[in-house]
Amino acid sequence: MLKKLYVVFAGGVLLTYSAAAWLGWEVANSGSRSRLGTPFFYTGFRGGK
Amino acid sequence: MTTLSAQCPSCAAPIEFKAGSSIVVICAFCRSAVARTDRGLEDIGKVAEIVESQSPLKLGLKGVYKDARFELTGRAQIKHELGGVWDEWYATFSNGWVGWLAEAQGRFYLTFYQPLQSALPSFTDLQLGQVVNEIPGQTPLMVQEKGRATTVAADGEIPYKLVPGEQFEYADLAGKQNAFATIDYSIDPPWAFVGSQVTLGEIGLADAKPYEREAKRVTSAAMGCPNCGGPLALNAPDSAMRVTCPNCSSLLDVNEGKLTYLKSLTPPPDAPDFVAPIGAEGTFAGDVKVKIIGATVRSVTFDGVKYFWHEYLLYNPTIGFRWLVHSDNHWNFVEPVNAAEVDQKEIFGAIRKVVYNGTTYKIFQDAPATVEYVKGEFYWRVEQGEIVRAVDYVAAPLMLSQEVSANEVNWSVGTYMTNDDVEKAFGIAGLPKPWGVGPNQPFTGQFYYTWGALPTLALLVVALFMIPFTGLTSTVLNETLTMPSSATPQVQFSQPFEIKGNRNIRISASAAVNNSAADLDVDLINDQSQEIESVSIPISYYQGVEDGESWSEGSTGNDATLSSLPAGKYTLRVEGTTENVPAPLPITLKVEQNVNRGVNFCCAFLILAIVPILGLFRKFSFERSRWRDSMFGSSSSGSDDE
Repeated sequence: MLKKLYVVFAGGVLLTYSAAAWLGWEVANSGSRSRLGTPFFYTGFRGGK
Repeated sequence: MTTLSAQCPSCAAPIEFKAGSSIVVICAFCRSAVARTDRGLEDIGKVAEIVESQSPLKLGLKGVYKDARFELTGRAQIKHELGGVWDEWYATFSNGWVGWLAEAQGRFYLTFYQPLQSALPSFTDLQLGQVVNEIPGQTPLMVQEKGRATTVAADGEIPYKLVPGEQFEYADLAGKQNAFATIDYSIDPPWAFVGSQVTLGEIGLADAKPYEREAKRVTSAAMGCPNCGGPLALNAPDSAMRVTCPNCSSLLDVNEGKLTYLKSLTPPPDAPDFVAPIGAEGTFAGDVKVKIIGATVRSVTFDGVKYFWHEYLLYNPTIGFRWLVHSDNHWNFVEPVNAAEVDQKEIFGAIRKVVYNGTTYKIFQDAPATVEYVKGEFYWRVEQGEIVRAVDYVAAPLMLSQEVSANEVNWSVGTYMTNDDVEKAFGIAGLPKPWGVGPNQPFTGQFYYTWGALPTLALLVVALFMIPFTGLTSTVLNETLTMPSSATPQVQFSQPFEIKGNRNIRISASAAVNNSAADLDVDLINDQSQEIESVSIPISYYQGVEDGESWSEGSTGNDATLSSLPAGKYTLRVEGTTENVPAPLPITLKVEQNVNRGVNFCCAFLILAIVPILGLFRKFSFERSRWRDSMFGSSSSGSDDE
């Protein structure tokens, strides 16, 4: 059972990595999103490299 | 087959020599051994009636060996000098061969007369362990046993002149690939019979069933204990040589059905109790039903401390005897091994490794083992206090054991059994949990660092595969803005530029700062949606000389990376403050897409590598625990199977 769970988990990690590479997602995303004209509030990881 | 009909010279009953090779026929009426000679029929004496064992063989049984059909036409019972009895069956083949099928302790050996070019060593010159090169064959044959035997009973047709009560010397030899030979010293010069150990299946007798002895089972009354008079029954009366009384725990000698009191036994006070009862029946590998007929408590002593374990003697009339060893609540199913199949590797004058059946076993323990207590019945003359040198070699899940006594050397192989396996075999539940790691306990987490490491490998492949699909790094903006020297925030805008979707974005800023700093808040503004992605890019560079040594801190450039944004036209809004900058500061801004930073890869790699690394750590820890209990401690791993 644990083996199956591990295989599913590892498959998920591989799939997520592939999707991130394909769609340009960054795990260490430095930005925070807002809209022009509204106060800036930072919700994400900031300043990292 | 030509049948010769005649009358028994003793009782005149009709007798028949069915096989041309038969020399002696046992008269079914008067038990006379009638030999045919060139002068006619000769009565050479009476033979005892065969003691029915639980042998699956019987006269008239037909089998096939090497495409030649045979029939069991005769049988002799031979008594070992130590008291045991074995059967020899004579197989008359349709092509004229005569085979000797010996049966002892559930094992079968089919041999044929082998003419020899050179003389065999004499019985007295023959040594245990000696290789007899005079017997040609594919494998060297080593002397395993030599002894004196007596013909005690016979039935059917015998292909040699069987003399009732005749004593003769013999030697049994064994070689690799189940090769087997017997030297018969009753003839001068001695004859060699060469063949192999066979299974009933290999000789076309797989369907042969053990003899049903219920009707003739020795009764409890007939086997009363000579010490207390209590009843007892034997499970393997044809091979039992020692039995303990279940009523008074006396050790009794068994000799041809007669019991003799030897001594009263008491279990050692600090030894654990037997977990399995005598008489329990279980089903083991190959769907073989066995019964526990005996049990021993044995011990080894290290640093003055006795360590006990239990050995259960299992019996099945077809396969003979096996053992179930219970130590620290670990279990092993133990089977005998042909000593000739074990290659011992000598390293610096000591044997540290042995090879059996292609597997290398490492030495684990070499110590005198003592029989502390016995219960049930045994096929050898077991004694309380009996000491043998016990050497164990392990290659999980197997353990090869050598027991050396004054007269013989025995090898056996144990296969590790989990509690579940034993509970299933005996149909019981709730066996106590094992302590620590068993000497040959297999490590079951191998998957996690073997097959479990495959996703990590797959990640490398995917990462390489993705590079051509996601494209190489491209610069979408490279512009220099001049930031006025000011401690209050100053805002600058870049030229608009095009951003593509599904590609990450790296914004780099560099400035010629020297012992100064610029703190930039950069907004990437989507010109259509007015959405902003903000990053902070601080740049600072300080340097100097202190105590004669130069130092520096920071750099003249910095960057920030973003996940992909919707494709479209964007502008950079840069709001910055400067520190120790006397003049307007030119800042070069660069926006790139498809940057391969490796952060995603490293994160995925770490996540996937955790499980195999933990698996390896567990394996290392498991092996360390295993070898901690060894006299030859080594943390090197064995060859485990899942």
